[in-house]
Amino acid sequence: MRLSPLIPTVLRNLAKKPATNLFPKMEPVPVPENFRGRLIYDVDKCVGCRMCVTVCPAGVFVYLPEVRKVTLWTGRCVFCSQCVDVCPTNALKMSDEFLLASYDKYDEKFIWFKEEEIEELKKKLEEQKKAKEAAKKAENK
Amino acid sequence: MSETHANEGTEVKKPTKAEKVANAIAERFPNAQVEVKTNKWMRERVWVRVQKEDYRELMKFIKALDGEAHYSIGIEQDWGEELGFLNHLVIYYDDAPAVSLLIDVHAPKDDPTLPDISDIFPIALQFEREGMEMIGIDFEGAPDKRRLFLPEDFPEGIYPLRIDDKGVPEEMVHNAGHPYYLKGGAKK
Repeated sequence: MRLSPLIPTVLRNLAKKPATNLFPKMEPVPVPENFRGRLIYDVDKCVGCRMCVTVCPAGVFVYLPEVRKVTLWTGRCVFCSQCVDVCPTNALKMSDEFLLASYDKYDEKFIWFKEEEIEELKKKLEEQKKAKEAAKKAENK
Repeated sequence: MSETHANEGTEVKKPTKAEKVANAIAERFPNAQVEVKTNKWMRERVWVRVQKEDYRELMKFIKALDGEAHYSIGIEQDWGEELGFLNHLVIYYDDAPAVSLLIDVHAPKDDPTLPDISDIFPIALQFEREGMEMIGIDFEGAPDKRRLFLPEDFPEGIYPLRIDDKGVPEEMVHNAGHPYYLKGGAKK
């Protein structure tokens, strides 16, 4: 019987150190530059141009016409970074985070601009509107 | 791409291989519309729009033209009033550039039958089976008319790639939903 040609390689490798990363004990393998991790949304910078809604292939964004912002659920995100490239105000960016396991698909960390924040912003906008109207009336008088 | 690179160095002789094939087809089938189109990489393709009656004859003619003709793909299309079946063949591929040949045949929607060509190009049968289930073209005389991709429990008479009322109805389209809508976001 012929011996396997792999045997010398196997024997040589037995004497070497294992080339593995013991993940929970060690830091994970460092991410490269421009890594596409969890999507970060900056509500204040958003001007509601709907470019991200148009370009997203995964249906992450929902446009909110009342507040002219978007709400997003990155549970569906495919990390293609197209929204980041198309955003004119840099309200969206990709972070280095990639350890995104969760027990709940509607987890806090997957949803940007939540219901309460939307309500808050709506109230704020209404107050601003009222203040403006009041100012106008005062001017007219 | 390799064809274009091969083309760059050498001088292109007129008429090119593609033009020769186009002329041969136009001569033999006067009813067919034959056109040689050149894309932005100077790649020539022969587009043939053939009548339903001549379709089988044309396929036989191509097989006779080059016995090693390679049938690449059959694409079913919905043109609104008509259903189309586009065949892409590559012939004379011994030396680059090969002749890329596109044969388009249409059938009206009230009589969506086309002749089967799987005895000439056996692989065409798979694309015809796909065409039968996806868009509802009936290939007359096809030896195998079973479905290829659609599941067994998919309803009869619905053709997923149709753009008219025989296409997939609204009720069959499902979406897992966005949490904003699931919590009644837009309705509030």
